[in-house]
This record gives sequence, structure tokens and C-alpha cells, in this order.
Amino acid sequence: MKEYNTFKQEENLLIHTRLLDAPKDLVWEVWTNPEHIKEWWGPNGFSLTTKSMSVESGKIWDFIMHGMGRDWDNKIEYVEVKKPSLLTYKHTGAESEDYNFSVSVSFEEVEGKTLLTMKSIFKSKAIIEELNRKVNAIEGGRQTLNRLENYLKLLVESNKQR
Amino acid sequence: MEARRDIFQAIADPTRRAILGLLALHAMTPGAIAENFDSSRQTISKHIQILTECELVKQEQKGREIYYHFNPIKMKEVSDWVDQYRKYWDKKFDSLEDYLAKIQKKKKNKR
Repeated sequence: MKEYNTFKQEENLLIHTRLLDAPKDLVWEVWTNPEHIKEWWGPNGFSLTTKSMSVESGKIWDFIMHGMGRDWDNKIEYVEVKKPSLLTYKHTGAESEDYNFSVSVSFEEVEGKTLLTMKSIFKSKAIIEELNRKVNAIEGGRQTLNRLENYLKLLVESNKQR
Repeated sequence: MEARRDIFQAIADPTRRAILGLLALHAMTPGAIAENFDSSRQTISKHIQILTECELVKQEQKGREIYYHFNPIKMKEVSDWVDQYRKYWDKKFDSLEDYLAKIQKKKKNKR
């Protein structure tokens, strides 16, 4: 099912697809029910507390992620809600309005499974480039970065052995 | 997330990137760092402070001197943004898949 698991950039969109071995209704359920979403959402090693969640257009999911020794407040505002096929939301409260982006997740039945398509919608292609440029901005540093990469490999290896 | 934004701000400045480049080679005192720049010591120490606050740099007291070290673990957060985003969601979809498999198995067992 490799061809269903894809990632690409089109202009101001980042598009992910994934074929999930589960019925559409169930996939919808695990995206929209706090009891389910805490089991997989958020960075690995983090836990999640939902303060409130109402999956309706204009309503919000207010939650806290716990990890790396602190709490991270998060708010998602639902924009479009078409059960069980389409969910669009945006993260609110980011410092710079320009970097905000919205996400649309659609669920389609394919051969008894569910094809998930996630589109992250940025204000412009330039914003994505800007984000890339910012994080690639380490100058004079190829060597440094190589050293860094090797060092990180070592660290990862030694963590595994523990 | 806030911490990540801090790092982006920290490395957006060319002087701070240069300081990181120096510290990646070996630990240095603030004075030794400042010698590499035309800016005042005060300006450089402000830059070092920002790097310390977002943990790209760590300080260590050795006798009367403070030495600054590059903290490579933190730099791991800084690689190509789109690539990070892709990897992040790939992992999340793996978790989602695993979880879906788990709850469907449970349902079957109940029948």
C-alpha cells in the first residue's frame, strides 16, 4: 500500500496521505473524541489532557500537552466539520499571524479502508520557504553540522544501549 | 511550540550563528568569544545570554571563569522545517495506525 502513503508540497500546501486499515467512522471517532485522541496525538513521550472539546464549526478543542518537564497549552479552532469525511481546523495563538496555518483532514473509503489526506494550508509558498530558510540559517557550519550529526548518532546509539 | 520559536529567533542573528560556530569547536570564556568580534563585550554577552536562555549554549563554572559549551542536543530541533513536519506527521500516523489496530482488536475480542 506504499502508493497511498505519500508526502508532497504544492505551492502553499503540504499534503500527506495515509491509508488506514479501519472503517471511516472509526477513524473519525479517534480524531474527534478526547478519550481516543489522547492515545496518539502529540509528540512521542508526551501525554495529553483535554480541557474541552467541541467538534463544531467555530468551536474549539482546548488541551494541554505534558512533556519535556512542562505543560504546553494548545488551542485548535474547528473551521469545517463534515462528519465523517472532512475536518478543517486552525491552531490559534501563534505569535506571528503570518506563520499560522490551517489544516484540512479528509477521510475517504478505499477498498474497505480509509484514505486519510491531510493538507496543511499556509498563507503563501513564501511562508514555507521562509520557515525552511530560518531553520537552515546556520552559516559557516557544514563542518559543524557534520560533527553534530555524528555526535547525535553516537548519542542515539548510546541511549539505545541503555 | 514556544521553545522551538526561541531557537529560531536565536539562530536568525548572524553574530549568534558565528558564536555557535566557535563554540562547536571548543568551550570558551565570554572574553575569548568577544575577541573574535568587533562588537562590544556587552553586546556579545547579550548574544550569549540569548543562546543560553534557549539552551543552545550551556555554561560551566571552572574556578573563577565561566566557560560556554555548545549544546548539540538542542540543535537537533533545528533542521529543515518541512522535513521535520513531514517526519512528525509520519510518526503520528504510525501511532494512529497502531491505535486503530489496537481498538479494533479489542472490539473483535468482545464479540
